[in-house]
Amino acid sequence: MSITRRTFSRLGLAAAAGLFAAPALAQDMPAPFDNPGEVKIALVRYLSTGDFFQAYLSGVEAQAKALGVDLRVLDSRQDAALQADMVDQAIALGVDGIIIQHGLTESMKEAAQRAVDAGIKVVAFDVNVENPAIPQIEQSDRDLARLALEQAVADNGEAWKAGYVYVAGIAPLDRRDETWREFKAKYPGINEVAMFGTLDNPIANSVANQARSVVTANPDIQVMFAPYDEFAKGVKIAVDEAGLSDSIKIYSADISTADIAAMREPGSAWVATAATNPAVVGQVSVRALAMLLAGEEPGASVIVPPTLITQADLNGQDIKNMEELSAKLPQFAHADVAMPAWMPNPNE
Amino acid sequence: MADTAIRFGFLALLAGLIAFFSVSAPGFLSPQSAVFIFQSVAITGILALGVTATLVVGGFDLSIGSVATSSMMAAAYAMVVLEQNALVAVLFCLAIGALVGLVNGIIIVYMRVPDLLATLGMMFLLVGLQRIPTEGRSIAAGMTMPDGSTAAGTFSPAFLALGRHRFDFFLPNLLPVSVVVLLVLALLIWFFLEYTRFGRMMYAVGSNERAAELAGAPVKAYKIWAYVISGIFASIGGILLAARLGRGDIASGNNLLLDAVAAALIGFAVLGAAKPNAFGTAIGALFVGVLLQGLTMMNAPYYTQDFVKGAVLVVALVFTFALSNRSRR
Repeated sequence: MSITRRTFSRLGLAAAAGLFAAPALAQDMPAPFDNPGEVKIALVRYLSTGDFFQAYLSGVEAQAKALGVDLRVLDSRQDAALQADMVDQAIALGVDGIIIQHGLTESMKEAAQRAVDAGIKVVAFDVNVENPAIPQIEQSDRDLARLALEQAVADNGEAWKAGYVYVAGIAPLDRRDETWREFKAKYPGINEVAMFGTLDNPIANSVANQARSVVTANPDIQVMFAPYDEFAKGVKIAVDEAGLSDSIKIYSADISTADIAAMREPGSAWVATAATNPAVVGQVSVRALAMLLAGEEPGASVIVPPTLITQADLNGQDIKNMEELSAKLPQFAHADVAMPAWMPNPNE
Repeated sequence: MADTAIRFGFLALLAGLIAFFSVSAPGFLSPQSAVFIFQSVAITGILALGVTATLVVGGFDLSIGSVATSSMMAAAYAMVVLEQNALVAVLFCLAIGALVGLVNGIIIVYMRVPDLLATLGMMFLLVGLQRIPTEGRSIAAGMTMPDGSTAAGTFSPAFLALGRHRFDFFLPNLLPVSVVVLLVLALLIWFFLEYTRFGRMMYAVGSNERAAELAGAPVKAYKIWAYVISGIFASIGGILLAARLGRGDIASGNNLLLDAVAAALIGFAVLGAAKPNAFGTAIGALFVGVLLQGLTMMNAPYYTQDFVKGAVLVVALVFTFALSNRSRR
């Protein structure tokens, strides 16, 4: 069944590749991309260190290169005031479009409005700047949590004892927490016996220390829901150290090369994760901005759908790193979002 | 009476805590749980023992957290990218720790930069430096390098054993390597500081540098050695961290630094020493570990843990400074 579907989608891909075999030529693209060298866009970042943000940037770069536009990267390194100043700097540079990546609503709202007033097209990723002229790019955290939890219910039935890793006040974790609450309401058999979590770095090490205490105090936990991969790594270390890998299953969100290795260790308790490819989110951010520049409407919110990745998928297809994951799970490598016919696909 | 309170107050508090958690947290009172508390504080404890050496000579080392995370990255880089074996990786890390300590010491002693500023600068430098070889990526087996190729090396099993192997001790598979390393290093540095001429001279330098210099002690050498010890201990902490996590994580290590310093400062209060001492540091680290693990077992939320850590530190410092000064008067 799945083979035929996969074969079918491959055929589809091959056909699509055949149709667009010649890379979209500049003259095929609408203005201003008929002369892309003249188009300048800026990426104004709030967060930049870590694998996720590195991959996001590579996606932005890949799509900008596919379009042939001039990309400037302004990085405020978690300085909210500086990030707002950088928007003004981008306005002064005379850019045509700006991508705001993360940041605080309070500090970015007015800066974003100034950019819109200056006639610049703006999109925002994972920060709400409360401006109807600015489309929101989102990885759907609710869908991420839902996919992982649905898998947990499929694997373990509707009644189990759960440990939950959560730190309040972090926007994506709060959104994932909403889904967890909904699931607990929907399945009264799910019993959350412990909640813990910390963002002390190295996060995995600190969470491992906590999780170790939790599994010692509650050795009957069957499912650990750790909706952030650093949390899941920590829980896995603790579960291994406590020798409980057989009785506990870990469900998480996000993925990286290190996570793939951890999930594929023999007897690993980490059985599934739901993830959005950060590189794809970066590509979608640029594509949504390009649509605005070409006078098209990407929609008020552009949602990049997540993919469920199970230990069985990884082992079955012998996937060892993020590149192989993209290559072997096509739904992870490309999202058909903000993809008008003229848009060049950076993966081809 | 007051004297006894100061000497044994903190140890009594620790005993009281253990009794309290044993009653109220199921599973707290077991050999596995005891070993685990040691394991949870092993890395910060080792860092704390290193920083104790710099405190003894009247200095301070803010760079230990980033030395530890740099050493973790270096171990991962040596094995995953350079495809070296465990021994090379360990020696590489130790060399980095010693080198950083040496540079810290030289900057402080010969360039006369105040210790806090010199090591603060080193901290930032290392946080940046550890990211340069991989362009900001964390290191894991099978990772993609900046040039697009895939790293061929893996974490060697011998290295991972440093984080995962357990020695039999009364019960099978009880003592993790990190706990053994912590105990051995604690004994070593305790003996070194209390009973060797070198260690006593370091205390002399710390209590009155000028007097020590006039007495003919090579003060500069002692101070530099203190930073080298601190650097090496921090790099050992980093090696154990890498072995436990099984990858090289981008991290500033600030939390490691703060926890380690807290342990060393709490150590001032143990046995009414009112000065940096290795035994106190070890007890301080253990104290924080008992508290945090006990609270986690009782399902206390994470923010209470920072609060409790801070409260313990304040109480310990009050013990040290107010009470012991009063008794001296």
